[in-house]
Amino acid sequence: MKKIILSLAVVLVSLVSMAQKPEYYQAMGETLGQFGTSKDVADFQALGNKFQMIAAAEKSEWLPLYYHAQCYILMSFMEQDATKKDGYLDVAEKSITNMLEMVPSESEAFVLQAFYLVGRLVVNPMERGQEYSGLSGQALGKALALDATNPRAQMLKIQMDMGSAQFTGQDPKSFCPAAKELLANWDNFKAKSPFHPNWGKEQAEGIVKGCQ
Amino acid sequence: MKRTAISIISLLICLNAFSQTVITGRVTEEKGEQLPGANAYLQGTYDGASSGENGVFKFKTAKSGRQVLKVEFMGYEPFIQNLDLKGDTIRVNVKLKEAFNQLNAVTITAGTFEAGDKKQAVTITPRDMVTTAGAVGDVYGALQSLPGTTINGESGRLFVKGGDSEESQTYIDGSLVAVPYNSSAPNLKTRGRFNPFMFKGTIFSTGGYSAEYGQALSSVLLLTTNDMPEEDQLDLSFLSIGVEASGTKKWKNGAVTGTVSYNNLGPYMSLAPQNYDWVKAPESATGELSLMQKTSKTGVFKFYSNFENSRFSISQKSLDLGGTMIDYNLANKNQYMNASWNDKLGEKWAVNAAGSYTNSKDDIHFDQTKVAKRIEASYLKNAYSYHFSDKLSVKFGGDFFAKTFTQDVVMPNEIHNNSFTEHTFSGFTEAQVYASSKFVTRIGGRIEYSDYLKSFRFSPRVSTAYKITDNSQFSAAYGWFFQNPVDNYLLYSNRITPERADHYTFSFQSSANSRTLRIELYYKDYKDLVKMNGGEFYLPTSYNNLGKGYAKGLDLFLRDKESIKNGDYWISYSYVDTKRDYRNFPVEAIPTFASKHNLSVVYKHWFGSLRSYAGVNFRYSSPRVYNDPNSQVFNGEKMLPYRSLDVSWSFLYRQNIIFYGAVTNIAGFKNEFGRSYSSSPDASGIYQSTAIQPGSNQFYVLGCFITLTRKGNANQLDKIE
Repeated sequence: MKKIILSLAVVLVSLVSMAQKPEYYQAMGETLGQFGTSKDVADFQALGNKFQMIAAAEKSEWLPLYYHAQCYILMSFMEQDATKKDGYLDVAEKSITNMLEMVPSESEAFVLQAFYLVGRLVVNPMERGQEYSGLSGQALGKALALDATNPRAQMLKIQMDMGSAQFTGQDPKSFCPAAKELLANWDNFKAKSPFHPNWGKEQAEGIVKGCQ
Repeated sequence: MKRTAISIISLLICLNAFSQTVITGRVTEEKGEQLPGANAYLQGTYDGASSGENGVFKFKTAKSGRQVLKVEFMGYEPFIQNLDLKGDTIRVNVKLKEAFNQLNAVTITAGTFEAGDKKQAVTITPRDMVTTAGAVGDVYGALQSLPGTTINGESGRLFVKGGDSEESQTYIDGSLVAVPYNSSAPNLKTRGRFNPFMFKGTIFSTGGYSAEYGQALSSVLLLTTNDMPEEDQLDLSFLSIGVEASGTKKWKNGAVTGTVSYNNLGPYMSLAPQNYDWVKAPESATGELSLMQKTSKTGVFKFYSNFENSRFSISQKSLDLGGTMIDYNLANKNQYMNASWNDKLGEKWAVNAAGSYTNSKDDIHFDQTKVAKRIEASYLKNAYSYHFSDKLSVKFGGDFFAKTFTQDVVMPNEIHNNSFTEHTFSGFTEAQVYASSKFVTRIGGRIEYSDYLKSFRFSPRVSTAYKITDNSQFSAAYGWFFQNPVDNYLLYSNRITPERADHYTFSFQSSANSRTLRIELYYKDYKDLVKMNGGEFYLPTSYNNLGKGYAKGLDLFLRDKESIKNGDYWISYSYVDTKRDYRNFPVEAIPTFASKHNLSVVYKHWFGSLRSYAGVNFRYSSPRVYNDPNSQVFNGEKMLPYRSLDVSWSFLYRQNIIFYGAVTNIAGFKNEFGRSYSSSPDASGIYQSTAIQPGSNQFYVLGCFITLTRKGNANQLDKIE
């Protein structure tokens, strides 16, 4: 019951604000809806283009920048060529910088920055490992300091701890209880609006699956 | 729930589709190649589309009147066109211009190995510099796995492209380092003075370098010290040859690091077989202090100082004393300081100020001779760069180098006190011009004036690079390089002039993902080299500048971090053909430091299950020449080839504890560096000789590195991986 009321409240609040910028909310709604059907670099580029257009039309909104950057980070993970990977991440970096200027105390923005830094690391783990795992850890630290309940921040933290465990002889499975707890409580986290970041549950499920 | 809400909202909003305009067009790049994925939209609206496979975009808009069409695509300049929408179809052909981005633009690679954290263009990283198996933590040792270098096992110094070791200079944070190597006994290998772990970036130029650097005939090594540490930490190192403790304290905009170390090869040498008899094994104590402070958002001030005391005593066969053994004692006190400040002044200007001070004193004592050598040097530099645009920047500045060299020799019947002081004033300017992102030219000049030699020299420098495909490029460099003669000549004569080398370098480089191939051809024309005319060494008239020579060769470099999972290797090969007529050479001959064929193969592998990083390094140099005064032919004898197989192993025991082991020349190849001869023949008219051997055939190191931080998750892995 409580959940339903909460959801309703969220929807109502959104509706009120939407009434003021109908085009923006329509465009965001439609474009976000295409996330699920995007499969490859070309799909995400087309999707990123839409967010870029929305960002250009709504100079005070950070969410279009967020999703624009996210599209390009995802593209970098799908791409094989290292130079292109860095090229996509250059695009993501610009949007992230703009976004952080707009919302310097938004936990989600730092989660995305951490995710972007992981993208940089993945291009060349041998050389960038040391530096970028540090930078990414710092960004996650900021995200968690701003909102300790942010499930995406917690999920990336667990992923990162597991990753570095294999280099230090720690058992990666020692992070499994935390992963399970996170997944169990995942749905308790309520995004501020239907357009706020909401991803990560699948990855968390993946981690828990890997634990078995 | 969310979906429903979105659908409702969508329904609530109605589209005013009274009159619709269709906007369509094809997006191409300058040469007409179609660009799929470009973003075409009316600025400030929600009407737009991405271009498809064939570069064509098409969208409808209900907007009317004046609108701005914007087309964007990564890597290209945005395209903007004003449109007047009247309800019919508008066709726009969009030609996008490639955006100029210095990070992706061509860079000058002729002669240069750059190690930094800048993206993909990297051929060798700073970490590679310090982790090469055979280097055993020596910067110069690691550089000798790169093409263009020749290993001289009896020296340990850098010999580049047919050049002598004095022809190379080292700079730290922009300041010249007057005494970069430790003091050593004649014919024994030395090491660099500086801990390789203090550097984050390295540029090693083996020829054709910028007008910013002078006083080097063959190469410059430009080292950049680390940036701000991440947190307070304490590092402890225990090695089989010494101990080191280093503490870092960080504050908001600055940090200080203090390091003390003590090395003593005595215990090690008593266990491992040595080729020489050490009366007193090499022992050294070092204290270092470095300080860093951000002076503004973009400005950084760095200070570094190093005090070192070292000494040893070795028993060597004296051929001039009928082969009796004498003790060669050396004590060195070295003090080095440098400071630098870098900042941006507004958008367009960047400023760099740097300075260094060296005071190094060797006290040498053998048989009944005492030699005291002292070098005191100061260096100051100030450089500015002005950024006209992304495509054009100009750098200019000046430097000043003062050096006093004093040598006092006391023998039972003679005393020689000699000294000279020299001031060199220099100015340089250089422009870097990008004609496009594919073609760059750097052109500049340098003037140098020495008050001691009363000489004035101008050196032009030009280098250029052209990208032929996304992954490959040609680069070429040309320039005149001057260097004042070595201290031993300046001590007795100021009637000589700077020596000169002209460099012609042509290189091809191709790199894709984590593979790099480089081929370089070069020619060096040496002129005005100091030559002795056979007179007494202490007379100024015994020296002239009639010496000359050449060096030409081919360097190959292959780096591949991709083909082998968790593995990384590089192969360097250098061919050099060189001859000189200089110093005391009676005829033109191959100098003793040059070997024709040089090969270095480095392999590193990460064993995840063992949490270990292993490295192997094989080096080969073809036989060098040496002179036998008993023979009629000058430099007519051949040494053994140099061969060494080196291995290293690092084991990550805990997050912050690492064990390390390394062995050089594990296969036990016999290396020998020719013979040394008595200075005069014995009664039967024969010059007596003895073989020049390395200090030991093999070298072993065992160590443990511990890092303590508050968070407890840092380590010194980057040191030894």
